[in-house]
Amino acid sequence: MVEINLNRRQFLKLSGATAATLAVVELGFNEKEAYAKSKELKIARATVTPTICCFCGVGCGILVHTKDNTVVYTEGDPDSPVNEGTLCSKGTTIRQVYTSEKRLTKPLYRAPGSDKWEEKDWEWMYKTIAQRTKETRDKTFVEKENGFTVNKTEAIASLGGAALDNEETYLLAKMMRGLGVVYLEHQARI
Amino acid sequence: MTNHWSDLQNTDCALIMGGNPAENHPISFRWLTKAQEKGGKIVSVDPRFTRTSSKADVYAQLRSGTDIAFMGGMIKYAIDNELYHKDYVVNYTNAPFILKEDYKFNDGLFSGYDEATRKYDRTTWAFETNEDGTPKQDKTLKHPRSVFQLMKQHYNRYDVDTVISVTGTPKNDYLKVCETFCATGQVGKSGTIMYAMGTTQHTVGSQNVRAFGMIQLLLGNIGLPGGGINAMRGESNVQGSTDFALLHHLLPGYVGTPTAKPQHATLADYNANETPAAGYWSNKPKFLVSMLKAWYGDNATKANDFAYDYLPKGNKNYSHINLFKAMYEGKIEGTFLFGTNPVVGGPNAGKEKEALSNLKWLVAVDLWETESAAFWQKEAGGNPAEINTEVFLLPAASSYEKDGSVSNSSRWMQYRWKAIEPKGDSLADLEIIHVLVQKLKELYKNENTAAARPFNALSWNFGEGHHPDIDLVCKEINGYDLKTGKLLPTFGALMDDGTTSSGNWIYTGFYPEEGKNRAKNRDNVDTGGGNYLNWAFAWPANRRILYNRASADLNGKPWSKEKAVIWWDAAQAKWVGNDVPDFVPIKAPSDPGGNNPFIMLKDGVGGLFAPLNEGPFPEHYEPFESPASNVFSSQELNPAVEIHEGDFNLKGDASKYPIVATTYRVTEHWQSGSMTRNQEWLSELVGHMFIELSEELAKEKGIKNKDKVIVSTARGEITAYAMVTKRFKPFIIKGEKVHHIGMPWHFGYKGYATGDTANHLTPHIGDANTTIPEYKAFLCNVRRAD
Amino acid sequence: MAAEYVKYVDVTKCDGCRACMVACKNWNDLPAEPQDFLGTMQSHANVSADTWNVLTFVEHENSKGGLDYLFRHSSCYHCSDAACEKVCPENAISYTEFGTVVIDQDTCVGCGYCVQNCPFDVISLKEYKDKNGKEYRKAHKCTMCTDRLEEGLQPACVTTCHTGAMEFGGKDAMIEKAEERVKEIKDRYPNAMVYNPEGVGGTHTIYVLAERPSVYGMPENPKVPTSAVLWKDYAQPIGKMMIGATTMAVVGAFISNKLFNKEGNGTHEDGGESDE
Repeated sequence: MVEINLNRRQFLKLSGATAATLAVVELGFNEKEAYAKSKELKIARATVTPTICCFCGVGCGILVHTKDNTVVYTEGDPDSPVNEGTLCSKGTTIRQVYTSEKRLTKPLYRAPGSDKWEEKDWEWMYKTIAQRTKETRDKTFVEKENGFTVNKTEAIASLGGAALDNEETYLLAKMMRGLGVVYLEHQARI
Repeated sequence: MTNHWSDLQNTDCALIMGGNPAENHPISFRWLTKAQEKGGKIVSVDPRFTRTSSKADVYAQLRSGTDIAFMGGMIKYAIDNELYHKDYVVNYTNAPFILKEDYKFNDGLFSGYDEATRKYDRTTWAFETNEDGTPKQDKTLKHPRSVFQLMKQHYNRYDVDTVISVTGTPKNDYLKVCETFCATGQVGKSGTIMYAMGTTQHTVGSQNVRAFGMIQLLLGNIGLPGGGINAMRGESNVQGSTDFALLHHLLPGYVGTPTAKPQHATLADYNANETPAAGYWSNKPKFLVSMLKAWYGDNATKANDFAYDYLPKGNKNYSHINLFKAMYEGKIEGTFLFGTNPVVGGPNAGKEKEALSNLKWLVAVDLWETESAAFWQKEAGGNPAEINTEVFLLPAASSYEKDGSVSNSSRWMQYRWKAIEPKGDSLADLEIIHVLVQKLKELYKNENTAAARPFNALSWNFGEGHHPDIDLVCKEINGYDLKTGKLLPTFGALMDDGTTSSGNWIYTGFYPEEGKNRAKNRDNVDTGGGNYLNWAFAWPANRRILYNRASADLNGKPWSKEKAVIWWDAAQAKWVGNDVPDFVPIKAPSDPGGNNPFIMLKDGVGGLFAPLNEGPFPEHYEPFESPASNVFSSQELNPAVEIHEGDFNLKGDASKYPIVATTYRVTEHWQSGSMTRNQEWLSELVGHMFIELSEELAKEKGIKNKDKVIVSTARGEITAYAMVTKRFKPFIIKGEKVHHIGMPWHFGYKGYATGDTANHLTPHIGDANTTIPEYKAFLCNVRRAD
Repeated sequence: MAAEYVKYVDVTKCDGCRACMVACKNWNDLPAEPQDFLGTMQSHANVSADTWNVLTFVEHENSKGGLDYLFRHSSCYHCSDAACEKVCPENAISYTEFGTVVIDQDTCVGCGYCVQNCPFDVISLKEYKDKNGKEYRKAHKCTMCTDRLEEGLQPACVTTCHTGAMEFGGKDAMIEKAEERVKEIKDRYPNAMVYNPEGVGGTHTIYVLAERPSVYGMPENPKVPTSAVLWKDYAQPIGKMMIGATTMAVVGAFISNKLFNKEGNGTHEDGGESDE
């Protein structure tokens, strides 16, 4: 559950010495009056959720404004001591991570020798991937080698994970090591 | 990073080398700009004048791959001009330690080298010891075999004129850099070094970093605000994914993976051989056993070595390059890709694409149809009918369509709340991994084969159904006191007898009690020194500046009040200050070890002398492909790197490929571009693959700005636009003119902004310690595309 | 009347990240416009109807023989004496209480006089089609996020700027700040100056420049074209009196050839007869 889930107006009132609030103070505006007379901003009734930028390792705070099941705006989180409400061009564009028409929305399968993707449901994908994993693993699993207990398979590799959450990387490492995977690598190497 | 982003505002000088933070970590410049406003200096050392250089007070060019020559000269400059922080060097580093007599260095090789295996026997790289096993020391630093004198002797060869004949740096610029940065050796000043992949992506990458470490120890800059060595991480959670060990050689929390060798045959063997006698790593058995308890639960018992046997034991280097070599040779059947795109991002990427077609099956989990998931398509250059790889492409939720935490470059673990439901049918990776394990568990549940046993023993208790309970995952990472069932408050509570669990010891304490996930802390009141201790959680133990004990002198007083972090409060008999002490909180400076600030290290002091695979002191070697021979010795290439022969890694030479090339990133794109080339606003900002080249080279080659050009190396060719710029200048290397070009590596054929992939040009050779590929220095040629 | 505000742009602090360009598109929901390769890091040659600010990149060999890589956030200057406001036959362009200059999209007829007369080339026309397939045009430019100002928020570009290269504040305070800043940077940039040109009555985007304006491709002495003054003060009132027309563009079409001939811009666009 989101702890901080404020609409813009509440956010402005509550977030103390933020850049946004400073604007109001510095400009000497009567905030209520301003709201009353102006036309509605696109973020006026949006839900605001704090996140951390998905790009580089600086870890800037970002506010995601959502309304009507889409993302209407993204901006720097003024409360974050990392970026104090500011962002670079990539962080500012994070809205399009959701809105981009290029996003994958369905599981896709490519059969051997095929020249196209086919849509499949999740259950079929899970089941088939688990079967392939088990087949390869069972066929190549080594329990003992040169007198050492090794419990490994060198026929399965796992790559990637620098964009995953900590909790996900933990589960991924546990799963892969649990399966006996030794070819376990990710972007820290490249 | 030893320090953190907002701490950069405290620096008197930021040496930025092997990084381009204005472009790749832009928000760092919020803090660097503040430092500059207070009189701090920015020094930019880069082959190319970048957006970072434009903001710098001092810029110096260096040829890609010559960082050790550059830094070796700076070490000599600091010593010759006595600019180092003497008290710090004498007391907080191993400078006074005496080396054994048989330690030698001659013509680029240290003692103990075996040419056949390209490996060193490190026996001679050791200190003379007292009867109690502690190293012998000469605090006057005058002993001819002291680390200080041998270091001085080693770098005496790195005089300014020799250095600049290798690096191609104009002499005045080089001296200006040395003078500006070494001024931070003064008490009351601090300097930071900021680097990224421009430092690590070399055959000598690890030693490049070591050279930074040495100058920072000499100048007394480690542990201070505005100081430290700051590796700027390129991905939002590459810190976390490294902490959680998605790497072949590691288990969570930087515990080395056990391997198939006698020293690791049993848990007792592993502990006996991998646990140092002193320093914090002497607790390693507690970390490992607690992790085994988290992984195998009740199936990990004292009787079965806590299921130690179930951990897979490899017998070779399984890192990225070797992985793709095995795949290329058809030795790997199935591969999972979690948000990664090696067909664009991997070295010698053309070969990496070919390797994928040898797989029986490939699972790609991503937000986009990446070049790697689509490697079999006609557009990728192959014939789909001939590629028999089965591909499963699973749509993943984006970072704000799910709950979870990421750890930034400063080790701050920050929570991200779910803002919106995952797009379409996409799902969080947490759920995908969870369900795959459930399905596999289902398939194995009635089996008792050798393959089934370890997997059946793996505990997996994150809730029923498809949606794992993320709080259960968090709590397993933090760890429990298994006797009471309570969450552990700190890793100090971990035990090696199976009574505690912890999925990753360095994170223990982030979830110290029910309902209290410190990654969610959002109190942004400055708790002192700009360390914001109540914002997020920083591992280890919420520490913001690592080695901060070194900010205080032998009496526990800050070296200067300008650079205070923690200090000894005699009245309270504990360390107090602006940060969590990186030290035993009640150990007084007068206690044994009370002046050993580097608690993770066996000797408690910083290592000016520190063995890596290619030696204890960084030594300059030329890149795998180089336009010049090594002036420092007859060893051209790092003698300890692994060299892959044959068509997997063709090598070009300077007669055919005389131009030095390097790759880099731009602000507007990210990594292999799969995220940013699929976003229209970023694609419009940088929409085309280009190379940057000097006006002089353009003239020689008859290339005009905006022309299409072909860049070729021994590995392949690409086409790109020419960006003719004043920001690249030819180098004078040993009196000869050498041209240098650069290019972004973001492009591929998918997305809104498309272009040729720079990594078709890069070699399959890596650093001698990490096997990180040498993307940053290779040879090429350039011609007009006509 | 609220106090006057200006956007302060200290180009010497800009590190060229271009967040301002994206923040503008993000706030104003503007589409991307893929461009040809320009031969530099600059993405767009100039601002357009869908790209209201552009970061310019200039490689400049300075007077000390060194290299400067100069970045500049370029957008509407929001002149105090705005030519566009003067020439708009429909009075679609006006000053707000903040001193910003805005185009009322409901009133704009797309005649293009503002485009021709802007001394800074920051207004562009965009073509649309109505539901019957009939084409019409509207003039667009930076609004200084006047909708945000009305809510007490700063312009999106300013809010996102991480180096403090952009600030938004009271006019006098910002001018003072700019003058102070120029003194600070004179050592490094001997030609540094404040850009707040008098020829257009001063602007509501003021710059601290490291070099002469021409190095950045900016006019050294921009002026409101005489023709624009003539139009505003004479032709328009007379025209209105004569025909009482709301569609002044029709009148404009007759007289524009004679009256409006922007310096350095020989061609001029269709007078614009569409009145959707």
